[in-house]
Amino acid sequence: MHDVIASYFPVLVFGVIAVGIAGAMLGGSLLAGHQKPYAEKTSAYECGFEAFDDARRRFDVRFYLVAILFIIFDLEVAFLFPWAVSLSHVGLFGFLSMLGFLGMLTVGFIYEWCKGALDWD
Amino acid sequence: MTALVFYVFATILVLSATMVISARNPVHSVLFLILGFFNAAGLFLLAGAEFLAMLLIIVYVGAVAVLFLFVVMMLDIRVSEAREGLQRYAPFGAAVGAVLFAELILAFGHWRIAPAIDAVPHLGQAAGETNTAALGDLIYTHYVLLFQACGLVLLVAMIGAIVLTLRERPTGRRQDIERQHARTVADTLELRRLPLGRSVRELGGFARPTSYSEAAAKGSYDPHAPVLSDESRGE
Amino acid sequence: MIATLSNFLFHTMLGHVVLVALETLAVLVPLLLGVAYLTLAERKVMAAMQLRKGPNVNGPFGVLQAFADAIKMLTKETVIPSGANRFLFLFAPFLTFSLAMVAWAVIPTGNGIAVADINVGVLYLLAISSLGVYGILIAGWASNSKYAFLGGLRSAAQMVSYEVSIGLIIVSVLLAVGSLNLNDIVLAQRHVWFCLPMFPMFILFFISALAETNRAPFDLPEGESELVAGFFVEYSALAFGLFFLGEYANMFLMSGMTSILFLGGWLPPVGIAPFTWIPGPIWLIVKILFCLFCFIWVRATFPRYRYDQLMRLGWKVFLPLSLAWMIGTAGFLMATGLLPHQGVS
Repeated sequence: MHDVIASYFPVLVFGVIAVGIAGAMLGGSLLAGHQKPYAEKTSAYECGFEAFDDARRRFDVRFYLVAILFIIFDLEVAFLFPWAVSLSHVGLFGFLSMLGFLGMLTVGFIYEWCKGALDWD
Repeated sequence: MTALVFYVFATILVLSATMVISARNPVHSVLFLILGFFNAAGLFLLAGAEFLAMLLIIVYVGAVAVLFLFVVMMLDIRVSEAREGLQRYAPFGAAVGAVLFAELILAFGHWRIAPAIDAVPHLGQAAGETNTAALGDLIYTHYVLLFQACGLVLLVAMIGAIVLTLRERPTGRRQDIERQHARTVADTLELRRLPLGRSVRELGGFARPTSYSEAAAKGSYDPHAPVLSDESRGE
Repeated sequence: MIATLSNFLFHTMLGHVVLVALETLAVLVPLLLGVAYLTLAERKVMAAMQLRKGPNVNGPFGVLQAFADAIKMLTKETVIPSGANRFLFLFAPFLTFSLAMVAWAVIPTGNGIAVADINVGVLYLLAISSLGVYGILIAGWASNSKYAFLGGLRSAAQMVSYEVSIGLIIVSVLLAVGSLNLNDIVLAQRHVWFCLPMFPMFILFFISALAETNRAPFDLPEGESELVAGFFVEYSALAFGLFFLGEYANMFLMSGMTSILFLGGWLPPVGIAPFTWIPGPIWLIVKILFCLFCFIWVRATFPRYRYDQLMRLGWKVFLPLSLAWMIGTAGFLMATGLLPHQGVS
């Protein structure tokens, strides 16, 4: 088990250095630039008028639907990774069990296609 | 050394979990939740389960938390309303919490970590085998019924999501790609030799559709369709 | 002297950290220079395709343009909108750029040469690229501007949609490899690069990479004509610069992934004498540059997609195609007995 942790140690060092570089760039810009904010400059961008209200509002339910469908298909892909690696061990039975699994999801996929869940206006 | 790393991850995990429920801003809560997921992935790594660690990030951080963020971002939460709800529901919440806590104590009182784990023959990793392959060897053969049940759960989730969110409310004009590709010149363009002084309409007109409703792709917005009011839509 | 140095580097804990840090810099410094010069290369290539000259004032052929841009961005004022969430507003570009760099930790540049040679390298890359959504989503929300919010949402939905097909395409490659280690994936292409037997998947992966990096023709989150600049409309100075550089760093990353999965990574095209003399990293760089050129070429050639067409392409074309190809690959490998017996590796 110890070598598993050891193989991730460079990832940690790499991450620290990368984060350091990005932070230094952002911080350097904050220090180097001449900051002079005033109300007009810091108001939200609009086409020449004051913003009517807060920008964080409700939006189309289709965005949620896409996020939910993505979770489902992401899980499907997650199940495929160990299968792809061990297909030579699990043989025909494993292949067929995956076909059954994918078949069920394909039924769902056809359902959502026919229902128009994948259409955007 | 390993123990030290474990305690670092575990401490941050517990702290960020606390922040999830105590942060004022719901978006901050979700971001702390993500931090918590990362530390949980770190704990998986520490146990040598690298596949599960990566999967935790891909599925929970990369997909589930994105949905949470979507939902939370459009919430227009006012702190006073949240306070009002808190006072009203506090007794119920406390009661449910107390019951759960009592049950947890009962459960932990008899906790033993899988005493028969070594006796299970099919578990365990062959020498040099990655834990991804070890998982794969089991899921699709030994636990095939559970695996199929997972597929069924996902199917139900998919259909449920569509039934709950999809409303037939044509608001835009859609495109029927197949029909557009199948269009030929003969469908849309017609050349007529017009005698002087007579109009096209007298000769039978163009072959193109006469109204928008006829030409629009299925499910498009139709200006002539009866308008449904919000009440009659049947929420 | 040399003996003490090597003893320090290879046998002490601190030396190990220093060694890894040096390896990291050996990857990151060329990457950052490459990112800086990619911005110039893009302008030059597009100029050539449009019969213009492109930047040619700063230095010979404009080679100092990248530095001029960097200094300008560094010294501009960082405007933080009054309605914005200050911390998250600055955190979003920082996150985008860091993620694009962090992913390079596992990319192998030679046989077994990578900063971190982990068993689940492909999953690591997939995990990091799935986190890219956050920078954009947080930027859109934190700016508290309608254009930014809508751009962020669109972009998130777009990236998420194409991630599914990227995952399925990767699984088809993995079926032919039998391991999640990136080095094993490259080694499995010794005889034939996967771009030949899996040519349709290679094309699909490249197009999905375009969508995943929000590049033309899928750059509609920032479509100037309707959303001004999408999620980074409120950004200025290097906070904007980090988004900008992050996009280019992501292009590098996607080109690196394409090279490793389909173009044989650090392998020479044929394993005979004159080609094998050139070291592996050079081959990898050549392949990455080729992919980057294609990225720019596509941008100079195609008009922007409409949003409904984009989602249709992702869900109704790429998803079924990549799923069918994945099942077909598995069935073919099962039937011909060509499955790699690698699980133990």
